[in-house]
Amino acid sequence: MTWFLQASAAVYLASGLGALLGLLLPSARLLRGATSGLALGAVLQGLVFATLHERSPVPSLTDLPQIIAFMVWISAIGLVVLNFRFRLGGLVAVMGPVAFLAVFVSGLNWGGNSPPISGGSLPHIHILLSSSGLGLLGICGLVGFFYLLEHRRLKRKRPVSRRFQWPSLEALDQVGIVCLVIGFTLLSLGLLTGAAWVRDSQGQLWTGSSHAMWTLVAWLIYAGLLGLRILGRQGARQAAATAVGGFLFLLFAVLGVGAFQ
Amino acid sequence: MRILLVGMSHKSASVEIRERYAVDEVGPILAKLTDLDEIDEAVAISTCNRVEIVVSTRQMEAARHTLYQCFHADLGGGASLPDGSHLDDHVYEYFDQDAVTHVFRVASSIDSMVVGEPQILGQMKDAYRDARETGSCGPLLSRLYQRAFATAKRVKNETLVARRPVSVARVAVELARQIFEDLQTKQALMIGAGEMIEASLFALRRQGLGGCRVANRTRSNASELAARFGADAHGLGDLDQLLSDSDIVLSCIGSTEFILDADRLSQAMAERRRRPIFLIDMGVPRNIDPDVDSLENVYLYDIDDLQQVAQSNEAERQRESQDAERIVLEEQERFVGWMVALQSVPTIQHLRARAESIRISELERSLSRMDLDESERDHVDGLTRSIVNKLLHPPLSRLKAQTDREEGLAVLEEARALFALDDETAPGSEVDEVYRGDESERALKETLASLDGEEPE
Repeated sequence: MTWFLQASAAVYLASGLGALLGLLLPSARLLRGATSGLALGAVLQGLVFATLHERSPVPSLTDLPQIIAFMVWISAIGLVVLNFRFRLGGLVAVMGPVAFLAVFVSGLNWGGNSPPISGGSLPHIHILLSSSGLGLLGICGLVGFFYLLEHRRLKRKRPVSRRFQWPSLEALDQVGIVCLVIGFTLLSLGLLTGAAWVRDSQGQLWTGSSHAMWTLVAWLIYAGLLGLRILGRQGARQAAATAVGGFLFLLFAVLGVGAFQ
Repeated sequence: MRILLVGMSHKSASVEIRERYAVDEVGPILAKLTDLDEIDEAVAISTCNRVEIVVSTRQMEAARHTLYQCFHADLGGGASLPDGSHLDDHVYEYFDQDAVTHVFRVASSIDSMVVGEPQILGQMKDAYRDARETGSCGPLLSRLYQRAFATAKRVKNETLVARRPVSVARVAVELARQIFEDLQTKQALMIGAGEMIEASLFALRRQGLGGCRVANRTRSNASELAARFGADAHGLGDLDQLLSDSDIVLSCIGSTEFILDADRLSQAMAERRRRPIFLIDMGVPRNIDPDVDSLENVYLYDIDDLQQVAQSNEAERQRESQDAERIVLEEQERFVGWMVALQSVPTIQHLRARAESIRISELERSLSRMDLDESERDHVDGLTRSIVNKLLHPPLSRLKAQTDREEGLAVLEEARALFALDDETAPGSEVDEVYRGDESERALKETLASLDGEEPE
């Protein structure tokens, strides 16, 4: 594990714990510090990616742990950027530990020899675009999950809880929409480049592999979700539930099926 | 100098009793009190929930008697109480550190009827300002009130006592903020034009609500309320049109039938593209069909739900007040330590002056009978000085050591009694003038300044 990797893992963990403490105390200052910590962790992890070419052997971004680490990196950046507009500091309590685990696991496999992938830069572009889309759709699922929790609390007439400085339902919904639009676009581009890569390497656009099939189904779910939101046929609560289900399905389709193979 | 507080509050007297002692103007009473010898400084607060007078005094028993007289004659007008009870049954009194604790608790809103309500701090600041303007608030009570305000600030910042809304209108606003990120972009619809609607509208406006419409059966009433808050007025016939672009709906109107039902809301939700809507039904009987709550993205709270949240918040505030009590205790110990230090300095100076006065008078008397040359006189002078210093050293050291302890005030009182410092007939009492009257005030200011590390005025 490089120094940058160790440092980013440690900073991610600290930011997660800081955010948790900020929620429990509660302390807005601690939550702001935790968000800054997440940003620092993302910068350090960015330096890891920027210095990959200096490693010997060069770790492959196509390794599953590296893909997850990249996906989480995009999520962390997305959360930090969105925090400028919305009060999302509380979500760092989840994002921090998840990012720590992703970086830590990717570090365990550091320098492992992956089989070379043919197809030039297409597979890398495919993976980077898909992982970025997955990262943002991950935030979409995360805020959807917390939307459902808040919705349930409000419907049950539970007391106003100022202890947890949580974003409003509207903020969670708006973050979900932003992540859905950008994440879906990136995922779509990822699928297109994936298809191009398959055509280059195997001579046909559609191989009928389980990975391709499940990913297409997940893409269709998100396409449906986005269409319903644009048309105003689906409310925020249903959209949140679909975002959670869709992300779990997408994880299975992209990572789960890939892992089994 | 000691602190005495005499007062009555919602905890010790019913509103029928309290309203007899509440006054609009405390200035004349403060001026009258501080004209008396037994009272050095005074601050009084008179609100609907409490009437209290805090004084600093050197004659505790006389001051206590004066304050009871003040309650009876000046505040109560000398009238007897309606239920045949006596003033003593409804008045409480606190001395020294207990008085300090009470003032800090009141300022921090722990002693309020609604724990955490913010008004009391403003009322105390007004009372302090009135006392300053009257000239009845000297350095000791100034310090007491400044520390009380600092304590209230700590309690507000370090605990959740003041953060949980407990009025129905504020609970409604707080819930709206949990649903909507920015109230400035939201539209509210108020159905009715009564007091509850007005209070809620006021609370929402304070939170920066974007736009508002008032709909009422009697349109003129709606217009009157709407004009005060810069809103539009409508009749109840416009409800369908208004619902589709309203994010927050508050209803409190007299009606035996539901004003809004599920069908009406379903239609409105489709028109507003299923954006969340927050409905607050304050009507009794209810104005909004409870089945509406089962609709997606509709959040309906009736008056019972709001009351339940308010009561739960009140209970939570009570629990949070334990943390506030800890802060009050810390601040009280700090203030009492300062007060002991403040009083130990003049006591020590007084004791030294008394001893020196006795030494010099006895020395002069003895020397006049002896035939001693200059060097022998100096020798005897040094001898007596050394004896006095050695005798005073242990008690003075003990007094200084007690200044950072809570029982320091009692030790000081004992020391004053033991050395008869307040006895004008005791030997050496001719120096006491320095420690009374205007000289005393000057000495106190100097001591205060030295304790604060500042130059005296």
